[in-house]
Amino acid sequence: MARTLVVQLARLGDLIQTIPAITALKMADQTRGLDLLCPSLLTPIGRLIPGVDRVLEWDGTVWHRWAEEASHDLSPAHLEQATKQLEALASHQYETAYVLNHHRRALLAASLLADEVRGSVLDGPLGTTLSPWASYVREVALTGRGSRVHLADAFCGLCGVPPPGRPPVLKQSSPQLPLPLEPIGRRGEPWVGLIVGAGAAERLVPTETWKTWVVRFLEAAPAGRVVLLGEERERGRRIQDLLPSSLLGRVWDVTGRTSLLDLVTILRRCHSVIGSDTGPLHLAAAVGVKVIGWYFARAGVHETGPYGVGHVVWQAEDSNGEGHRERTNVQPVRWPIEETVGLLVQGQQFKIAPRVPGWSVWVSHCDQWGGYYTEVGGRFGPPLEREHLWRALSPSIIDGSAVGAT
Amino acid sequence: MSHGSENLEKLGRRDSALVEAVRSAAGSVLSLTPSREGSVTAKYGDRWVHSSYDPRKEARVWADAQLKEWKDQEIGVVFGVGLLYHVESLALLKPDGRRLAVIVPDVSVLKDALGARPLGPWLETIEWIWGKPADMARHLADLGNPLRFMTYASAASLHEAVHREVEASLRQMVAVRQGGYLRIAVVGPIYGGSLPIARYVTAALESLGHHVIWIDHSVHHTSYERFNSYRDVRHRLTMQGRFAEILSLDTVARLADDPPDLVLAVAQAPLTAGVLDHVRKKKFLTVMWFVENYRHLTYWRQLASGYDYWFVLQQGDCVEALRKAGAAHVHYLPMAANPQAFYPCSLTETERREYGADVSFVGAGYQNRRALLPRWLSPEWTFKLWGNEWEGAADLASVLQRRGSRIDTETCRKVFNATTINLNLHSYNGPSLDPQADFVNPRTFELAACGAFQLTDDRSLLPELFTDQEVVRFRSPDEVPHLIRRWLHDHEARRAVVEAARRRVLAHHTYRHRMEELLAVIGLRQPDRIGAILRGDRNAGALAARAETPPELETLLDRFPRDQRVELKDMADEIRTKGAGRRLAREELLILLLDSYRSETRDLV
Repeated sequence: MARTLVVQLARLGDLIQTIPAITALKMADQTRGLDLLCPSLLTPIGRLIPGVDRVLEWDGTVWHRWAEEASHDLSPAHLEQATKQLEALASHQYETAYVLNHHRRALLAASLLADEVRGSVLDGPLGTTLSPWASYVREVALTGRGSRVHLADAFCGLCGVPPPGRPPVLKQSSPQLPLPLEPIGRRGEPWVGLIVGAGAAERLVPTETWKTWVVRFLEAAPAGRVVLLGEERERGRRIQDLLPSSLLGRVWDVTGRTSLLDLVTILRRCHSVIGSDTGPLHLAAAVGVKVIGWYFARAGVHETGPYGVGHVVWQAEDSNGEGHRERTNVQPVRWPIEETVGLLVQGQQFKIAPRVPGWSVWVSHCDQWGGYYTEVGGRFGPPLEREHLWRALSPSIIDGSAVGAT
Repeated sequence: MSHGSENLEKLGRRDSALVEAVRSAAGSVLSLTPSREGSVTAKYGDRWVHSSYDPRKEARVWADAQLKEWKDQEIGVVFGVGLLYHVESLALLKPDGRRLAVIVPDVSVLKDALGARPLGPWLETIEWIWGKPADMARHLADLGNPLRFMTYASAASLHEAVHREVEASLRQMVAVRQGGYLRIAVVGPIYGGSLPIARYVTAALESLGHHVIWIDHSVHHTSYERFNSYRDVRHRLTMQGRFAEILSLDTVARLADDPPDLVLAVAQAPLTAGVLDHVRKKKFLTVMWFVENYRHLTYWRQLASGYDYWFVLQQGDCVEALRKAGAAHVHYLPMAANPQAFYPCSLTETERREYGADVSFVGAGYQNRRALLPRWLSPEWTFKLWGNEWEGAADLASVLQRRGSRIDTETCRKVFNATTINLNLHSYNGPSLDPQADFVNPRTFELAACGAFQLTDDRSLLPELFTDQEVVRFRSPDEVPHLIRRWLHDHEARRAVVEAARRRVLAHHTYRHRMEELLAVIGLRQPDRIGAILRGDRNAGALAARAETPPELETLLDRFPRDQRVELKDMADEIRTKGAGRRLAREELLILLLDSYRSETRDLV
């Protein structure tokens, strides 16, 4: 049986965005054996992705150490130990490797492990000729031109398969949590997961703002609970410090104390999860929880909004009113605190989520052309650009038979 | 058969000549006594050579520590004989195939060791290095492999002088065999006397073929000086301190731009302890040449542990003080001359009138000079005083040139050349000669390099640099007038002295010699890193010739000139240049992959 390798060496958010491509590859050929190469730290998540037979752990720290040694004294021994490491990863050569991020390292790793490499670059690991989909993604990143094709679907394009047509959901992990965390999600309702951090400093919501959000939510939802999530323990502690002591029993701070699998279980136990454009937010969407995103700085809802159906994103608009259409560093003047609390507590439907000055509100859908967002209260349906783009960039793989879901 | 006879028999299978030498030796250098755990231990005088409790355990701990550093291909060289417990431990613990040598400065000690206890078959595996220091050095140099020195301090201290001699000879031999070139960042000061030295160091390293990254902070001098205009001295000190911190970070950014093999800072280089710590964590090798009197400038205390290697102008107390302050390696490295800046030159008549005198002194107005120079003025000779910081020296006003302005190197050279007798009085903040006169200043070497005659105050370290036939010394201020009279009109005698001095400088005391010495010291201490580069082990030819090099890598190495140093980065660059568009070999992909991680390892700033 021909075996395929998907290479994703970037961060958690990128790995989650890779799930639709893996699903689509598997759908295109059910007999295909499919493995995933991802950073060691992310392998627990990799193992939950449907369709993945085996997860290969890429240990970057070991390569860093060898590189440090080899930079002082390059010897054949370095190449020998690197070869052994690769052999330990995969005993056989893959027929095809799909490289989903345009990083030279991923291309090189794929070239070492597979006979053929597909994805971002057409002419080998040193090549500069981007594939059509990689050119498109790069252009969006460089020019800031608003895209209506989701990054996860562009990954499908890189793999030469159409989007799966429905949002994939991660497999079940252990429902158990370590004893101190076990009460999370058990008593009270609703439980909201609040992701306190972000991968980039400009995407951090101020702790003062989060504190206000928590206070307002707990005031509005007398039985509600909040779980502070993420790796940034200091930020979690800071938010806790700012809260009135009367609320502390209803706020669980697990920042910096959970494994990735614990995080998955906690996210599953939450009714909703709120945060900026971060890996854990996408993870929440991937486990099937409804997500509310605050997108600002350079985050754009159409490219990297949580993938799936029924997620809501408040997108900060640029001062020129272009909002997400221009890739500028948009920093909000005010935050949609009352509006998101209202959405969660008063049982308002996502489709009538209230508007906030300086922000637009979007809700997610999924159909045969992939994930997309429509503006709440807007008159427009699924954007046509996606179909045009798929026909332009991948004319041979589009048959239009996928069933959409909204 | 006694221990001694059995051991001698084993030794004889390895080195029969040494057995004869042991038989002829007197022995009884060490006094033997039982240790607490029962095995024999030894004292030298009232000092323990091995543990009085458990010499075997102590030796094992020492051997374990050595093994962590000792790499394959390196020959371990042990300083210190004692009762050989440590050598035994190392010989038994070392991986098969590694070679171990022991320096034997005194065969009598070895005789004591052989007679003290039965020794196992490991004795036959040791390479014994004995004889005169120069012969031992030659023996070591001829071993062919990189050497890893291991000092068993309590035993080695018996023969420190011999070990120093062996090392010095070895360094000289290693220096002339240099086959590879380093990338060295030289960090200079913002201003001051060490600035020209930093430039000479740079030039010397370049002349040796090394790639030098000159981090010149003198371009910031004007800005630094502007802080002197503050009325409040606290403001000045604060701003100058902060400015130095910024320049320290500037150094780090430059190191990140072009990562060197080692960072050589010259005294007063603006590198803070925090930055040095950061740089060391990033695995840069740091070296300081402290071309200052350690008693006058004492900031070395804060920086001692910050540099991997210290080179200093003074011996004894200076070396000890730095070690106590946390310096890992301290070595004596005297000043030198740059023959391209200081050389004999013919002067025009106008220049002779301007710069010439019977007696001259060039230098700043330190207290001892203010007190002594007036005593050496006389109607019997003309006298000129050059240099700055002479404000208020009324009794020298008549001889002070250019109103006491600072003079440049070219003027200095002309004064040296135009003067019949140059006085060389080392600086000291006291009323007379420096009572702790040890180091030799740069002027001594520069005058000699110019072929200029000098009278120099006596320094304890001068005799090992110049003989009395090369530099004339005075031991008290009263001697000076007599010496001036003695030499002023004896042209032939002066000529003999200055020619000998110049020959000596050119043969032994240039910055090129100092840099060879400095690199040889580090090379011997870092056989797997700096030493390997200096030996040429990183050159394309040597890498290709390694037995374990696979043919694919050999093909890649063949693209480089054989004597060109090749690092991971160079190979990756070569592959990137010529590899686009073709299918890359596995080795090429691996090199590119490793290089992609290497390029992230210098995220310094």
